[in-house]
Amino acid sequence: MTRNSELLVGLAMLGVGMGYLYMTMQLPRRGTVDATFFPYVLAWAMIGLGALQCIVTLQRGDFGARLGEKMQNVQKLTVLATLGLVALYILALRPLGFPIATILFLFAQFIVLTPTGQKPNLPLYALLSVISAAVIFMIFRYGFNLLLPAGPLTNLLP
Amino acid sequence: MFDLFLQGFAAVLSPQIFLLITLGVGVGIVFGAVPGLTAVMAIALTLPMTYSLGPAAGISLLIALFVGATSGALISAILLKIPGTPSSIATTFDGGPMMEKGEGAKALGVGIVFSFLGTIMSIAALMFIAPSLAQVALSFGPHEYFAIAVFSLTLIATLSSGSMIKGIFAGVAGFAISTVGIAPVDAIARFTFGRVEINAGFSILTVLVGMFAIAEVIRVAEEARKRRDAPEPGPIMVKIKGFGFSMAEFIGQIPNAIRSGLVGIGIGILPGIGAGTSNIISYIIAKKRSKTPEKFGKGTIEGVVASETANNAGIGGAMIPLLTLGIPGDAVTAILLGGLMIHGIQPGPMLFITQGPLVYTIFAALIVAAFMMLILEFVGLRIFIRLLAIPKHILLPIILVLCAVGAFGLSSRIFDVWTILAFGVLGYGFVKAGIPAAPFIIGFILGPMAETNFRRGLQLSAGDFTGFITNPIAGTFLALAALSIIWQIYAALRPKKPSILSDIAE
Repeated sequence: MTRNSELLVGLAMLGVGMGYLYMTMQLPRRGTVDATFFPYVLAWAMIGLGALQCIVTLQRGDFGARLGEKMQNVQKLTVLATLGLVALYILALRPLGFPIATILFLFAQFIVLTPTGQKPNLPLYALLSVISAAVIFMIFRYGFNLLLPAGPLTNLLP
Repeated sequence: MFDLFLQGFAAVLSPQIFLLITLGVGVGIVFGAVPGLTAVMAIALTLPMTYSLGPAAGISLLIALFVGATSGALISAILLKIPGTPSSIATTFDGGPMMEKGEGAKALGVGIVFSFLGTIMSIAALMFIAPSLAQVALSFGPHEYFAIAVFSLTLIATLSSGSMIKGIFAGVAGFAISTVGIAPVDAIARFTFGRVEINAGFSILTVLVGMFAIAEVIRVAEEARKRRDAPEPGPIMVKIKGFGFSMAEFIGQIPNAIRSGLVGIGIGILPGIGAGTSNIISYIIAKKRSKTPEKFGKGTIEGVVASETANNAGIGGAMIPLLTLGIPGDAVTAILLGGLMIHGIQPGPMLFITQGPLVYTIFAALIVAAFMMLILEFVGLRIFIRLLAIPKHILLPIILVLCAVGAFGLSSRIFDVWTILAFGVLGYGFVKAGIPAAPFIIGFILGPMAETNFRRGLQLSAGDFTGFITNPIAGTFLALAALSIIWQIYAALRPKKPSILSDIAE
């Protein structure tokens, strides 16, 4: 990590501590040791550690030193696409039901994660998505009595 | 005790539980062996299957996964020179060169047999230490529990890998997240923003699955499409005849194995550090004690024995504080704690009194899982080697779906699935910022224990703080916590000594 990113981490730690302190100050007080006692201790600890991280980083001499590799754009895109797909998947779980949402999610996610230079095998992905979704749904619904949302399929299921 | 032990074995050897243990060890080995898949993931995605099983069956399955995953890492450590999990880092130092010299079968044989012996040694330690420690812990009150929680928190925050500031911050942040929900003692709602779903706080399992499994999936997603100059090495088939090593070699390694086992058990008991550290420390000790230290790093069985005995000895070691005090040592034991709690089992000294048969079922499950590990790794090695080649872009999305099912199954709420995603993003942020996640989890689990017992202790002593220092056990643990912080600060300020890695490279 560069010195700048280490500094950014320190500032983020400081920010989290301050945000937590602000939220703690909104809580009602009932004496010295009450429900806010530990939150105050923790908030000040986070602020102190954030400040320490910033100070230690600023004292470091190696301005341009980089310990890790820089992320390629394709990597950033894959991470964002994965997060987006998971969020869509969770949103779709109730309205579409587990089987349909899972088939769509798996199919899209298989494509997103296919390594660079390798051609996505769409028929295989489609088959795997349907089989995995069906097997997981059946095992949990009928084997382990976990009522996963079925969406539009509810009336068709035994 | 003997009766309870027999009862435990009878339960574990019933066809259903025996099958679950076999399955658990097999799946665990795969998760340990495939780099990028972890023991926490294995347990996380199997948890929903245990919801409808009884406590004995559910816990036996989880324990089998734990044993399998700890040992499975040796397969990729030797064949690919990539440790499947951090617990087998030191195995690559000599396992890799042995493979290159054409002694892969011997390295695997040694690794498997000494993994088994390490596990058995640690189970023996667990069975002898845990019941006596539970007896002592029965007399513990809020003062002692507060002090033990503080001591464990300081250890994990200061001993975790990487920067000490970030380690302590992670522990504090985990503690802060645990304050969400209804406060202990005076029942004030804290940081709930009026949402009833978080009145009881976040579930340990959603936090763990998010921080470890989902974050890991995102991290691997980041690597999945990375452009590489050279293709990744593929596994090479190795055929083992017999155990792969001679009786004389086995006998010659016994002192090394006993020493490494003791190191593994000792480190496993300490909260915060486990197999990820003990394998490296025992490797260094083995090298220092060896008559032929110059052979280390060039492919000697001594190195494989030290690493593999120590990492598996951490299994029983880590179970000691978990079962007797309810304190998990690392992420894997934390998720085991979550699994126990789902089945209505609260680890702690009372467990040994109220649920004696279950405790011995756990012991029996550990022993049977150790034997199954030995058998499956020898018999099924070819299958596990093939599984190393499963494409990650197929495996990871399915793991993600299973994690979502697990979160949903906790209380049939989509909210919990959102929670794992949120903690997954947080965990990924931790990875990018170089902040260790293990102290966060331990802070999250031990935070409420520290807060509740601190406030109860104060109530008992009518608001007098000195009770925490004058109580001999509480005072000792608080003094140890203070000493550990002072020692760490001193170590950070004094001139740097060569690191562990340079010690290994010597």
